[in-house]
Amino acid sequence: MSEWPAQPKVLGTRVPRVDGPAKVTGQARYSSDIQAPGLLIGMILRSPWPAARIQRINLEKARQMPGIKAAVAVQEGPRIVRYYGEELAAVAGVSRQACEDALRAIEVEAEPLPFVVREEDARKPDAPRVWEQAPNMPPPRVREEGNVDEALKECAAVIEGFYTTSVQLHHPMETHGGTVRWDDEGVTAWISTQGIFSVRDGLAGALRLDQSKVRVVTEYMGGGFGSKFGPGVEGVLAARLAREAGAPVRLMLSRFEEALAVGNRPSSFQRIRLGAKADGTLHVFDYENYGTAGVGAGQATEGGGGGADLPMPYIYRVPNRRIKQTTVAVNAGSSRAFRAPGHPVASFGMESAMDDLAVKLGMDPLELRIKNDPSEIRQREYRIGAERFGWKEKYRKPGSSPGPIKVGVGVASATWGGGGSSRTQGEIQINPDGTVEVRLGVQDIGTGTRTVAAVTAAEVLGLAPDQVTVKIGDTRYPPGPGSGGSVTAASVAPTVYDVCTRALEELQKQTGLPDVRGENWRAACKKLGVTPLVVQGRWREGLSSSGVGGVQFAEVAVDTETGLVTVRKIVVVQDCGLIVDPLTAESQVNGGVIMGIGLALYEERVMDWQSGVVLNPNFETYKLPGIADVPEIDIVLINMPERGVIGLGEPVHIPTAAAIANAVANALGVRVNSLPITPRKVLAALGKVPTAKA
Amino acid sequence: MKPFEFVTALSTESARELLGPKGQYLAGGNDLLGRLKDDITEANRLVNIKALPGLDRIEPGADHWRIGALVTIAQIEDHPEIRKVFPGLHQAAAEVGSQQIRNVATLGGNLAQHSRCWYYRHRDIQCLKKRGRICYAIEGDNRYHALFTGNVCISPVVSNLAIALTALDATAIVLRDGQERRMSMAELYELAWDNPTAHHSLRPGDLILRVEIPTQRRRSAYLQISEKHAFDWALVSCAAAANLENGRLRNVRVALGCISPVPHQVAAANQFLEGKAPDDDVLDHAADLLLAGAEPQTHNAYKIPMARALIRRTLRQLQA
Amino acid sequence: MKGSETPSTGRLSRRDFFKGLGTTALAAAASQAESVAQELQKINAEKVLGPGPVPVTLKVNGKTHKLELEPRVTLLDALRNHLGLTGPKEGCDRASCGACTVWLDGVTIYACQKLAIDAQGHEITTVEGLTPDGRLTPVQRAFVERDALQCGYCTPGFVMSVSALLRKNPRPTVEDVRHACAGNLCRCGTHPRILEAALVAAGLPPVSTTRTEVINHV
Repeated sequence: MSEWPAQPKVLGTRVPRVDGPAKVTGQARYSSDIQAPGLLIGMILRSPWPAARIQRINLEKARQMPGIKAAVAVQEGPRIVRYYGEELAAVAGVSRQACEDALRAIEVEAEPLPFVVREEDARKPDAPRVWEQAPNMPPPRVREEGNVDEALKECAAVIEGFYTTSVQLHHPMETHGGTVRWDDEGVTAWISTQGIFSVRDGLAGALRLDQSKVRVVTEYMGGGFGSKFGPGVEGVLAARLAREAGAPVRLMLSRFEEALAVGNRPSSFQRIRLGAKADGTLHVFDYENYGTAGVGAGQATEGGGGGADLPMPYIYRVPNRRIKQTTVAVNAGSSRAFRAPGHPVASFGMESAMDDLAVKLGMDPLELRIKNDPSEIRQREYRIGAERFGWKEKYRKPGSSPGPIKVGVGVASATWGGGGSSRTQGEIQINPDGTVEVRLGVQDIGTGTRTVAAVTAAEVLGLAPDQVTVKIGDTRYPPGPGSGGSVTAASVAPTVYDVCTRALEELQKQTGLPDVRGENWRAACKKLGVTPLVVQGRWREGLSSSGVGGVQFAEVAVDTETGLVTVRKIVVVQDCGLIVDPLTAESQVNGGVIMGIGLALYEERVMDWQSGVVLNPNFETYKLPGIADVPEIDIVLINMPERGVIGLGEPVHIPTAAAIANAVANALGVRVNSLPITPRKVLAALGKVPTAKA
Repeated sequence: MKPFEFVTALSTESARELLGPKGQYLAGGNDLLGRLKDDITEANRLVNIKALPGLDRIEPGADHWRIGALVTIAQIEDHPEIRKVFPGLHQAAAEVGSQQIRNVATLGGNLAQHSRCWYYRHRDIQCLKKRGRICYAIEGDNRYHALFTGNVCISPVVSNLAIALTALDATAIVLRDGQERRMSMAELYELAWDNPTAHHSLRPGDLILRVEIPTQRRRSAYLQISEKHAFDWALVSCAAAANLENGRLRNVRVALGCISPVPHQVAAANQFLEGKAPDDDVLDHAADLLLAGAEPQTHNAYKIPMARALIRRTLRQLQA
Repeated sequence: MKGSETPSTGRLSRRDFFKGLGTTALAAAASQAESVAQELQKINAEKVLGPGPVPVTLKVNGKTHKLELEPRVTLLDALRNHLGLTGPKEGCDRASCGACTVWLDGVTIYACQKLAIDAQGHEITTVEGLTPDGRLTPVQRAFVERDALQCGYCTPGFVMSVSALLRKNPRPTVEDVRHACAGNLCRCGTHPRILEAALVAAGLPPVSTTRTEVINHV
């Protein structure tokens, strides 16, 4: 049975990222940094109509523009576009300027169609249909357990709340796209992606090529958060342009385009009735939710689920429950998986209801959770966190903080999987000079994959992490999973363990030395003569598992005169099995929390109902947390070596917004039930906003 | 951006001449280049005015200071004497954009910047301000828009410095057709009150040369509230300037930003505050006077309590 | 105000910039740069250039480059697509994210919102110019040691902002660091560590807004 060492030398120590120097010097090559002889720039023409019948796209004038080497339409023949920003055509030219001018020369004949962009409008029976064959909002799917109507009568307290969240955009700092080159061997695509093999598969299919003729290379990428798994329309367009032009094409989306067409987190409109017995035991949960996944939602696309469904009643078990969920289609870009899909929004709804119920019961909200949370690990985390945070000292009845700056506290929890993929493979090359190269067909989306591999290899081989070169991000390397679901570390570490253990056995066998690790390493390798040793391996059982909890506490200060919310402190208690590198693990926690602050306080995609456009397709009015918005983040990581490696990138993002929303409600004595919690909403909740004109 | 010519002017006369009918002056370029990139503004030629002599000086004086239009916001922020003599101006400068923006943005450009209304700034919306048919904000999402307007467009002035300089009773010196014209801050923006297509009173070819700030008011303050804690446009801003004699306000001026196409000032409020100690009742009543007649839209009524809080805090800060 | 005396306009002149770096080779380059700028001024003054490509001379990381560019080409476009630099990145092209942060005469600007033709006669420094000999600067070392990076896309921009701050203000407070870095966005959430790295690089105690404890389960 495989096991991590009981007294690891490298595992669990704070190891700086092995690719740190490349990144801080600007030497790291991202998809938009790839140079190639004859490189052209690609750009996309997008629909200015939120809905239209496209009759004809005339590329002739564009093709004749100076410096233009290729022009393609996304699709030949008439078609319907269903959102502002949907792709129509693309050009490739010698410069950005040439492309900009060429896009202006493309002629599109279109008949605008009726459209609808707000959920509340799209639900109405007479709303314009996003998909002509079906209504925008299918009848809800219902799951029932127990007897909700009877159980409601048995409760000592029941609350009813309506909790809503807005569409959130991924907005990785590096936009979508990449550089594509054709040569005699096929296609090489440097795509900014979380999944080199899913991109390879997507490109091969779209271009009708054998998969063996498509190579995807992503050494560095600037974030994805779930939106970068396939090649995207832009990746396929880049390849088509490169083929037509006979030259490599770099096509990267602009920030504007990122707000339109490459995914989002669906909104939610959650009506919750939650009831408990007098002692706080949850007894009934009556739930209705709809949200929009853009054109990816609605009855016509039922099969895909739209991604707007939420796992309710989240972490709690309630014997009597009725859960009705549906999605509503609007003329806007389709949703895509976004860091713990469904969970942050589910946590927000459920945990808000829990706090409202605690208030009605006159109970400490933390006590209500301890009473009802079936998870042993989270019970532990509540206690550790409460002590660390000072919950008992800080918790006061809602609204009792003396004003005008009111302080409040809140708590919320998470559950996640994060196990590894058994289909991960890897290889190691040991050179006679003692240098080592580990090769894995996985990605580093910012989580520190190379470092996880280097640390694991160093541990097994008895070396230092900087003696191990890790190569990732090439479909020529042994395959691994896409980086989603927080699976990468739990896939990589056991695989590298296997590869290195096998390599040790091979090296020992070939050199006749009983122990080649550590100090014996160089001498042993020298015995290889001129031929390096390459050993392959695969993911090994027993070194990772799945299933984590996670609890977060938030302290906020709300200026009740201006409505501004300031997060003062977040305490995170997170388990993730065996911690490979606490330094990079902490960074994941910071990242998840800060993204949660964005969801709680700043982020929403705004649509204009009159024109159907995205009103805030930029960083000026789609607001990401900046350095001045970041609070003190206090982290307790629970190391559980016996569980093996488990991922933590997503669980740490799940409960932050919920905890902050609860803290604001606790501070004010009244709840802002809609994310993001902006000053405008706080002042309205406090009754300070005069009624607007009719 | 569409193609344009580029020329560096060495005198104000040639700058005016080189501009032609479809040229634009280029100073820091933060606002202009953004507008060119989104086709909000057309220009076939950019006239670089950064080499014009004598416009980049900060000149202290006993009665008033002169700050050239090409002085950068960073220079204003970093100037140790400005911080002492015009603290409100320093505070306003410190809140402009980010360090990278302040390092190139100029005083003149900040005053002359165009509306930030998201309908105006959208490449695919032809709103009233762009000579389209309607103001989309009125029936649309107007959370960032004005509480007062003299015309149909409800886009507010957002220049931090304009508000601080209004409270300080500053004068802009504008070169128009070869003549220097003195404009109060009110005059610099008054055209935008009546005319939906105007952002201020400047005509094509006008060039702000400098701003003169009287030292009369020894105390000044500027505060704003944004949704983020930094690098964010103000939802509402407030500036105040006055002297304090025995705890009472003298020569007091209060101005509000982001709630009107022009820096919002009310003579009755200034008169009311004259000679009074800024206690709670006084500040409340001043806020009543300043916000009298406000007409909130569907989504921006929150600006009223927010403005009241800012008025109180800004005036109190004068006592600090 | 903090720091040394401010020159009359408060603007850092090319001479001051080079004086701060303090090497004779660079001082020689500085006077060359000045006369280059004056020459450019004389040649180009009041001559209408474009709209087609025109000669544009850029001084980047100490080297002079002669390019042919349309006036509408931004400095970022010139650096990345004409000079092949990879440090400054495109994140928004609208002066709102800081991924393109470079120095113009030693102070930070957004390269995306500066025309290349308008950057002539100035000293442009990208992250590549901080380490001509390949060795990490104290700021870069601190970023690596403190893990002030994740995906790394925003990192060169932050390095330029923090490095510029420390040149101007060698002993910054936490507020000074926040103020200097407010114009740099990060989606991965490296901010607490950037704060630490900036203070560590300045030789100050790393006031951390992140505190971690690893506890073993059993």
